[in-house]
Amino acid sequence: MFHKILIANRGEIAVRIIRACRELGIKTVAVYSEADREALHTQLADESICIGPAPSKDSYLNMEQIISATVITKADAIHPGFGFLSENAKFAAMCEKCNIKFIGPSSEVIGRMGNKSEARKTMQAAGIPVVPGSEEPVLLAEEAKKLADSIGYPVIVKASSGGGGKGMRIVEKEEDFLSCFHTAQQESVNAFGDNAMYLEKYIIAPRHIEFQILADKYGSVIHLGERDCSIQRRCQKMIEESPSSVIDEDLRKRMGSAAVLAAKAAGYESAGTVEFLLDKSGEFYFMEMNTRIQVEHPVTEMVSGLDLVKEQIRIAQGETLSYRQEDIRLSGHAMECRINAENPAKNFMPCPGTVKRFHIPGGNGVRIDTAVYQDYEIPPYYDSMILKVIVHDKTRTEAIRKMETALGEIIIDGVDTNLDFLYEIISHEKFIAGDISTHFIQDYFAM
Amino acid sequence: MTFKDMFKKTTYISVEEETEQDRGSGDGQEPAVPEGMWQKCPGCGELVYSEDLEENLSVCPKCGYHVRIGARERIEMVLDPDTFVEWDTGIENGDPLGFHGYEDKVKQLQRMTGLDEAVITGTGKIGRRDVVIGVCDTAFLMGSMGHVVGEKITRAVERATKQKKPVILFSCSGGARMQEGIVSLMQMAKTSAALKKHSDAGLLYISVLTDPTTGGVTASFAMLGDIILAEPGALIGFAGPRVIKQTIGQDLPEGFQRSEFLLEHGLIDNVVTRQNLKRILARLLRLHTRTKQTPELYAKVMDELEEYKNRQLWESPDEFFLHNEESEMIPAGSAEEGKQRLKNDLQNYSAWDRVQISRRAERPTAVDYMKRLFTHFYELHGDRAFRDDRSIVGGVAMFGHQPVTVIGQQKGHNTKENIMRNFGMPYPEGYRKALRLMKEAEKFKRPIICFVDTPGAFCGIEAEERGQGEAIARNLAEMSAITVPILTIMIGEGGSGGALAMAVSNEVWMMENATYTVLSPEGFASILWKDSKRADEAATVMKMTASDLRRLGIIETIVPEKEPITQETMEDAAMFIKEKLLSFLQDYMIKKEDDIVELRYHRFRDF
Repeated sequence: MFHKILIANRGEIAVRIIRACRELGIKTVAVYSEADREALHTQLADESICIGPAPSKDSYLNMEQIISATVITKADAIHPGFGFLSENAKFAAMCEKCNIKFIGPSSEVIGRMGNKSEARKTMQAAGIPVVPGSEEPVLLAEEAKKLADSIGYPVIVKASSGGGGKGMRIVEKEEDFLSCFHTAQQESVNAFGDNAMYLEKYIIAPRHIEFQILADKYGSVIHLGERDCSIQRRCQKMIEESPSSVIDEDLRKRMGSAAVLAAKAAGYESAGTVEFLLDKSGEFYFMEMNTRIQVEHPVTEMVSGLDLVKEQIRIAQGETLSYRQEDIRLSGHAMECRINAENPAKNFMPCPGTVKRFHIPGGNGVRIDTAVYQDYEIPPYYDSMILKVIVHDKTRTEAIRKMETALGEIIIDGVDTNLDFLYEIISHEKFIAGDISTHFIQDYFAM
Repeated sequence: MTFKDMFKKTTYISVEEETEQDRGSGDGQEPAVPEGMWQKCPGCGELVYSEDLEENLSVCPKCGYHVRIGARERIEMVLDPDTFVEWDTGIENGDPLGFHGYEDKVKQLQRMTGLDEAVITGTGKIGRRDVVIGVCDTAFLMGSMGHVVGEKITRAVERATKQKKPVILFSCSGGARMQEGIVSLMQMAKTSAALKKHSDAGLLYISVLTDPTTGGVTASFAMLGDIILAEPGALIGFAGPRVIKQTIGQDLPEGFQRSEFLLEHGLIDNVVTRQNLKRILARLLRLHTRTKQTPELYAKVMDELEEYKNRQLWESPDEFFLHNEESEMIPAGSAEEGKQRLKNDLQNYSAWDRVQISRRAERPTAVDYMKRLFTHFYELHGDRAFRDDRSIVGGVAMFGHQPVTVIGQQKGHNTKENIMRNFGMPYPEGYRKALRLMKEAEKFKRPIICFVDTPGAFCGIEAEERGQGEAIARNLAEMSAITVPILTIMIGEGGSGGALAMAVSNEVWMMENATYTVLSPEGFASILWKDSKRADEAATVMKMTASDLRRLGIIETIVPEKEPITQETMEDAAMFIKEKLLSFLQDYMIKKEDDIVELRYHRFRDF
C-alpha cells in the first residue's frame, strides 16, 4: 500500500491523478516549475515542491530534481502521467535503483517497447501481425531503397527514435525515395541526434485503432476494448471514441486477443495501450505499444466503468487484477475531444495567455478533465492541450449530439482555441456517418 | 489568483512536520538515492547521472569535460578486447631516501587501488596491430614517477625496440616522485634514453597527454612522441600554474597550459576527444606501417583510390570542416562567374594573364588537391617550438596502399579563410613544421608530396624576429639530404624563397597557369624600372610561366588546366596528377636512399 505518491507531471493529468490518489486514501506530492506556481495541480496536492525553472528540460524533465523531490518528501512512488518522463526507461531505472516505485512497467519493458525495431521483433516473434518493413534500422539510403522497392510503394520512412511526425516521410513513388530518405534522416539527426531510420509499407487511409490493456505483475492481462483515434492532425490525435464504428464483435475479439498477447509477449505490467493500423479490408497490424496512461483513457473509463488510474496504482502496489476478461462489460458509446489553446487559422499556432472568462458544461454523461480555471494564465512553455471533454451515451448518434451540445456550452475567453474546428469536425456528414480514417482532416479540412 | 486556502482538502502536510512514525515500517525500503548515482562534473559543476558518464567514456554529456580515468579503464577503452598482456608487475620498490612512511604509503595504495604502481605497461592490439602500451594512473601518488614507474616504462620501451613494435604511452602525472629524491630525477634520463634508442630503430612512438601531465614527465617521455596527442582541456606543462603564478606574481591567461593552448603554440600534433581516440590511434598505426612496395602493389593503386573515393576519410575536423563550411559561404554563382571570366580569356594567355589567374580565389587550394589525391589524411600540427602556422597544412595520408606525407601552403577561398591562413604566407614556424614533418617522413620511409602556393614567405617584424631567413635556409639544406623521394607541385603562386623552401625536390611540377619567380612582377618592375605599374611587362621578361620554366629545366612536368580550374572543374587535373604521381612513386620507391639524395643534389647542382 502506497503512503504517498509524487506526481511527476502537470496540467489536467496531474489533477486527474491527485483525485484518484485521494479516493484511494493516498497522500499526494505535486511538483511544479517556476511557471506553474499558480497551477491547479500545485494547489490541489497535499504537498507541492518546486523543481526548477519554466522550461521542461529544467523542471518536468529534470530527473535529478524529481528523484530528489521524491526522497525529500518521502513519497514511495512516482506517477509519471503521460508525456515528459512517462516513457523514459532511464528515469524508470533510476526510480528502481532508488527504491521508488515507478507507476508503470519496468524500465526494461519501457526500453524494449520504446525501441521501435525491438518492439516489432518482439511482436513478430509472438505471432502478431506487423506492417511489412525493415527488421533492422537502416542507415544507408541505397540499402533502404532496395528494401523499399521490395516492400512496394507507397512506403513510409521513420526515424528510429522519432515521434510527433519528426523525421517521417511518406514516399509515393520510387524516384522520390532517395531525396525523401535524406531529408527525413537529416531531420532525425537534427532532432534526436540519431541517423537510424526504418521503413514500412504505407497503408492507405487506415484507421488508428488502439486497445487498452491492464496487466498485473503476476501475468494476468485483460483488454478493455478499443478506441478509434483516427481523427488526427499531423499524427496528433484530436477526437477519440469507443467503440469504433467498423469493429464488430468478432474483430474486437481477435484484435483484443492480439493486444493481450502483445502485452504478455512484452512482459507488461500496468495500464498500457497497443496501437494497431486497421486497413479497409479489415487486416490489422501492430504499430506500437504505449507504456503509459494515455490522454484518451477517459473514453475507455466511460464505456467500461473502470477507473484506469486507480487500477494502475493498485497494480503498482502489487495487487492482482480484480477483473477477469469475462467480467468486462462495455456499454454505450463514448467520445473525447481535445481542446487546445491554439489558433487553427494561424496553422494551429499555440496561443498561451490568460483565460478571462471560463464556462464548462455538465449534465448526465458529460465529463470535463481540465486544469484551467477563471483567470488562469496558460504558460507558453508546455503542451497546448488545456481541456478534455468526454461524453457518454447509449449510441454514437446520441454521443455526437451530446458532444455538440457540450462544445457549444464551453466558453474559453482570452485565448484562441480549436473549439470551433472540433465542432465542424463532429458536424461533418462523413464523421457522422462514421466514414473516417487517419486522412480525414487532410481530406476534408485541408488548410 | 490562487485558490490555495479555498479548496477543501483532506490533509495539509509540510515536509518538516513529517515524522518517522508517519512512514510506518522502517524496513529499509524507504526511497533513497544510492551513493554515487549522480556526480558533480568538475567541468560545469552540473549533476551528471553516473551511468551516462560511464557510457560516455567518462566525458561529461553536458559540457564535454574529460573526467580523469584510471589506467585499467583506459586500457579497456583503447585496446582491442582481450588482447592486453601486462608486463613487469611486482618490481621491488626502493626507498632511497628512507623517507618516513613512504613504504607503508605505497603498500596502502597498492591495497586500495589494486594497482602495483603508478603505471601499467604491457602489450596488446589496436585495430589488430601490435602495440606496446603504458598508462599512468593518478590514483597512485598522482601518477608520479619514481624508480618503479621509470623502470616499467624503460623495460617496456626496450622490449618494444627489440620486438620492433610501436609504443603508445598515456601520461598523467604530477612529475618526478619527491619521496624518492634524486633517484626519480634519473628516471627522466633513463626513459628518454630508452625512447631515443627506440626512435633510432625507426620505430613509432605516440604520446597521449591526459590531465594532468606536468613536471618531470612532461620534461621526459611525454614530449618525445613522434606524434603527440592530447585530450581536450588537459593541463600540460613543466612548471605547474600555481608555481608560475607565485613566481612571477601575475595572473595567468585563460586556458593557459591546457591542451588547446599547446596546440596553438605548436607543441602537440592534435587535440583528440576520448570518443575518437581509439579510431585515430588505429589510423595512425596504419599510416605508420611500412609495407614492402612492389610493382604488383602499385598496379592496384588506382583501384584502391577509386574504392576509397567519396568516403569520409578525412581526419582533421577543425581544419577541414571549417574549410568546407566556409567554402559554402561563397555566394552561389561566384564560382560560375569566375568560370565565365576565365573562359573569356581562355585563349592565348599572356604571362601577366597567368599571374592574375594564379592568384584567383576560385583556384583549388592545397587542401582541395589533397582531398582528391589522397585518403585517410590525418593532419599534424605545430613546429614543437613556438606556434602552429596555419598557412601550412601537413599530415600523413594514403595514396592507395602507400603511406605518404603531404604538406601544402594553404590559401583561403575567401577573406575569412585567408585571414586564418595568413593569405598563404608562411611564418618561420610554418617552414619549421614542414621540415619536422619531412624528417618524420624520412624516419618512416614515406615519400613526401609538397604543394606550393604562396605570394612569398611572410614579411613582417615577428617573422624576422624568429628568423625567416634561417628557417628557409635550413629547409633548403635539410631537404637536399632527405633520403625519401620528394615531389613538389606548384599549384598557384610560387613566390620566391618562400616557395623554394618547399621545393628542393626530386621533381617539381607545375599547373599550367601557376607561376614560379624570384620576385613578384610588381616588385621586379619597381626594383629594375622604378615603376611597379610595368608589372605586365616584367611578367614576360621574368620567364615565370610553366612553359618558360620547363624550357629552363626548372620544372619537369606541366599539369594541363583544360578549363578554368576551380574546385568543381579540377577533376581532370587531379586525375592527371594521380597517374603521374603513381609512375613517379613506382620509379622512385625502388631507388636506393643514396641515389635519391644524389639525384636531387644534381638536379640543383647543374644550375
